[in-house]
Amino acid sequence: MAGQLLFKANGVGKTYGLNTVLRDIDMEIYSGEVIGLIGENGAGKSTLMKLIAGVTKPSMGSMELQGQPYSVNSILEANKHGIGMVFQEQSLVANLTISQNIYLGREKKYATLGFVNWAKMNADAKKALERIGIDLDVTKKVRDIDFAMRQMVEIAKVLDVVTETANGHAIILLDEPTTVLSDDEIKALFEQVRKMKEAGNAVIFISHRLDEVLEITDRIYVFKDGEETGVFPTEGADTNILYERMVGRVATGEFYIENRQTVATDEVVLQVKDLSVFGAFNHVSFDLHKGEVLGLCGVEGSGKEDVCAVLIGDVEPTSGKVIIGGKERTFKNPYQARHAGILSVPKERRDEGMIGILSIENNIVISHMEALQNGFILSGKKTEGIANEWVKKAGVKCVGIKQHINQLSGGNAQKVIFARALESNCPVLILNHPTRGVDVGSKEEIYTLIREMTEAGNSIIVIGDTLDECIGLSSRIIVLKDGLVTAEFDCPVGNKPTQMDIVQTMM
Amino acid sequence: MAAEKSKFSFQSISKYMYLLSIVVVFAIFTILQPNFISLYSIQNMCGEIAPRLIMACGLTFVIFTGGIDLGAGYMVSATCVLTGLYLPKVGNWIIILVALAGLCMGTLNGIITTKLKLPSFIVTLCTQNFWNYIALSLCPDGSVIVPMTMRDVTAWMTYPILGIPATFWFSLIGLAALFVFQQYTKNGRAIYSVGANAQAARVAGVNIDSAQISAFAVSGLCCGLAGIMYAYKLRAANPTVGSTLQLSSLAAVALGGTAMAGGFGSVTRTLCGVITITAVTSGLNILSVNPLWQNIIIGIILIVAVILNSDNGDRNLVIK
Repeated sequence: MAGQLLFKANGVGKTYGLNTVLRDIDMEIYSGEVIGLIGENGAGKSTLMKLIAGVTKPSMGSMELQGQPYSVNSILEANKHGIGMVFQEQSLVANLTISQNIYLGREKKYATLGFVNWAKMNADAKKALERIGIDLDVTKKVRDIDFAMRQMVEIAKVLDVVTETANGHAIILLDEPTTVLSDDEIKALFEQVRKMKEAGNAVIFISHRLDEVLEITDRIYVFKDGEETGVFPTEGADTNILYERMVGRVATGEFYIENRQTVATDEVVLQVKDLSVFGAFNHVSFDLHKGEVLGLCGVEGSGKEDVCAVLIGDVEPTSGKVIIGGKERTFKNPYQARHAGILSVPKERRDEGMIGILSIENNIVISHMEALQNGFILSGKKTEGIANEWVKKAGVKCVGIKQHINQLSGGNAQKVIFARALESNCPVLILNHPTRGVDVGSKEEIYTLIREMTEAGNSIIVIGDTLDECIGLSSRIIVLKDGLVTAEFDCPVGNKPTQMDIVQTMM
Repeated sequence: MAAEKSKFSFQSISKYMYLLSIVVVFAIFTILQPNFISLYSIQNMCGEIAPRLIMACGLTFVIFTGGIDLGAGYMVSATCVLTGLYLPKVGNWIIILVALAGLCMGTLNGIITTKLKLPSFIVTLCTQNFWNYIALSLCPDGSVIVPMTMRDVTAWMTYPILGIPATFWFSLIGLAALFVFQQYTKNGRAIYSVGANAQAARVAGVNIDSAQISAFAVSGLCCGLAGIMYAYKLRAANPTVGSTLQLSSLAAVALGGTAMAGGFGSVTRTLCGVITITAVTSGLNILSVNPLWQNIIIGIILIVAVILNSDNGDRNLVIK
C-alpha cells in the first residue's frame, strides 16, 4: 500500500575525521509505511537517523523531501518540515515538568503578552499523552518519573510536534524506542505506530529485536558497517537472511554459549545476609559461589536493582550484612566496593558507564590504575598496551585507543565498559542489563566475554535485559517480588527452567 | 559548499588557537613597538612568566575537575606576604613552610567542596576572603621590604642562567612535574574523569573525593610556589600582588583550550596561554597603556577564548 514518495536519499554518507561511519546510502520512504532499520551497533543506523532529523549534515550525497532538495541545520528546522526523531538517549530536561517538556520551544502558542497559559498547556499535554494511551500527571517533573515513562513522553512530544506541522505527511524516526519499555508499553506504542501509518505518515523504526521489526514494519533496510546490505519487504522476510546480511555470518543456535557455562564450585565468594533497604527490599539473603553466574529476576520495582545498588556501594543498607573475602563490609561508595572486589557494569551506559570525553584507553584503565604503576608513576606503555589488547580482544570498532568513547556506537562503548570491568580484576562483577541497546553481533561477543570471566574464576551477578537472556546466561536464578526473595532456580545446561516457570514466581 | 568550508576553518582556528595566539600577539606588539622582542624585554618576560605559569598550571587541575578556584589570586598574595615577612627569620627554609601553607589552603578548599558537596565557586568565593585577610592584616601599610641584609640569601632565585632568571627554569621544571602528574599518575587521570563524568567515574570505583581534593591541593601548592617566587623577585611582602593574577591566570587556562567544563585540556596548553597573556601584559606596559585598561583587555581575551573553545562541532568536546 505504498503511497506517494515522501523522502529520498541519494548516496548519502557521513565521515568523522578519518572514520567513515556511513557510505552511499539510498533510501526511499513512502507515505503510509513503516520502515525497519536493522544492523549491528556501529552499522550506521543512528547516524542515518541523525542526518534525516537534522542533528548533523551528510558529508556526501543528497536528500529530497517531497521532490524538493532537503537540507536542514537543526532538529527544529527538520520539525518544521514534518520530520521528528525520538532519540535513543534521553533528550528531556529533567528539571522541567512533563508538559513543559512536551511544549519546550513551542511555548509561544500558549503565551499572551508574554505570560504562559499553563492550564491550557497542561490540558493539551495530557491529550498528547492520552493519544498514545498514557495517563500521567503532566505537572510532575521529568526527573520524578522512570525511564520507560520518559520514553513515552518523548514519543508523545515528537508526535505532537510533527503532526502539528506536517498535515498527515510526517516522517517519524524511532531510534530503539522499545529498549526501556515493558511489553504492555510496547503494545501501546505499536498501536500508535499503526495509527500514524494509517493517517498517511511514515515511520522509521530501529530496534535490535528482530521479532519487533518483523511485527510492525512493511519494509526492512539492513545495514552493516555503514553500508546498506539489503532491502526486503517484511512480508515473507526470512530471519536467517536478515541476520546474515546484518552480521555477515549465519545465526548459530548456541546463542548464549551454554556449552561454556561453568559449574559453580562450593567456594563462597560473597555472602548476603538479611540485607534490607527501607522501602526497597527486605531480608534478602544469598550466597554467590566462585565461577557462578547468578541471575536476579523480578519485575520493575521488585528490588533487584536496589540489591545491586547496595552491593556496588551506591546505596547504604538499613540493615543486614555483606560478607566478602571472609570480612563483613559496608560500602560507603563504589570505590570501597571496588577495593573489596566488587565492580559493576551499570545500566545507564551514557550517564553512569561512559566517561564521555575521555579516551578509550582511559576508560578501560580507570578502574585498575593501582596495578599499572611503577611506584607512583603510571606506566604509559602498560596502559596503552592493555587498552590495545582489550580493543582487539573485545572487537571494539574504533580509530584507535585515543579516540573519545562518546564517538563510539552504543555496542562498542559497552564493550569498552566491559573491558574496564574485566581489567579491574574484581572477583565479583555485577552486570546490570549488560546487553541493553546492543546489537546481536556484539551481544554474542559480550556473552563470550562473560563465559571467559567465569572460566577464569570470577563470579557474576546479572540482571538480564530480557528474561530469556537471564535464563540463558545464569547457572542459578533468584527471583524477587515486592522486595522479597520468592524463589530460586538451578539452571544447569540442558535443564533450564522455562520463562513461564520463572514468570509465575515474579507476579 | 561555502558554509562547510567556513565551519571547517573556524574549527581549526579554535583547535590551534593556543599556538596561533602567541604568534599573533607577538606580531602585533612587535609591529607597534619593535623593542618588544629585544633581549631585555624577553628576559623580563621570562621572569614574569615563571610565577604566572606555576599558578595557572595549578589552577588548570581544578578546572580539569569541572570546578574553579576563584581565590587563587589572593592565595598568591597571602603566601607572598608570609614569605616576605618570615624570610628574614628562617632563611630559605621559608620555601618549604610556605609551600606547605599553600598546600593546606588548597586542601581546605578541596575538603569543604567534596565533604559538604558544595560547588567549588561558592567555596572559593568565600574562602578567598580569608586569604585576603591574611595578606592585608599582616601588611596593613602596604608592601614590606625584605631587609637589604637578606639580599645574599634571596639572590639565587633570580640568578640568571643562560641570561634568563633561574625562576623561569624552576617554573619549567615545575611544569614538567605537573605534566607527569597530569598524564602519568592515578590521581591525575582520576581528576580528568571527575570533570568528564563524575557519576560514571564514581560507579567505576574511582575515588572522586580524593581526586578533587588533590586537584585543589595541587592548585594551593602552586599558588604557594608562585607567592614565594613573587616575594623573592620583588624582595618584598606585597599584599596585593595576586589581585590581578586571578583573572589573567583564568584567561591563560582558557586561552590554552582547556575546557572550562572539565575533562579536557593540559598544563602544556596552559603554558601557551600564559606566554600569550604575559606578552599582552608586558606589551601594554611597553606601550604605556593605562594599567586600568589591562584587566579589561584580558577580560575580553578570556571571553573570546571561551567562545572559541565552546562546542562548535557536533562532538560536545569542550562545553558539556
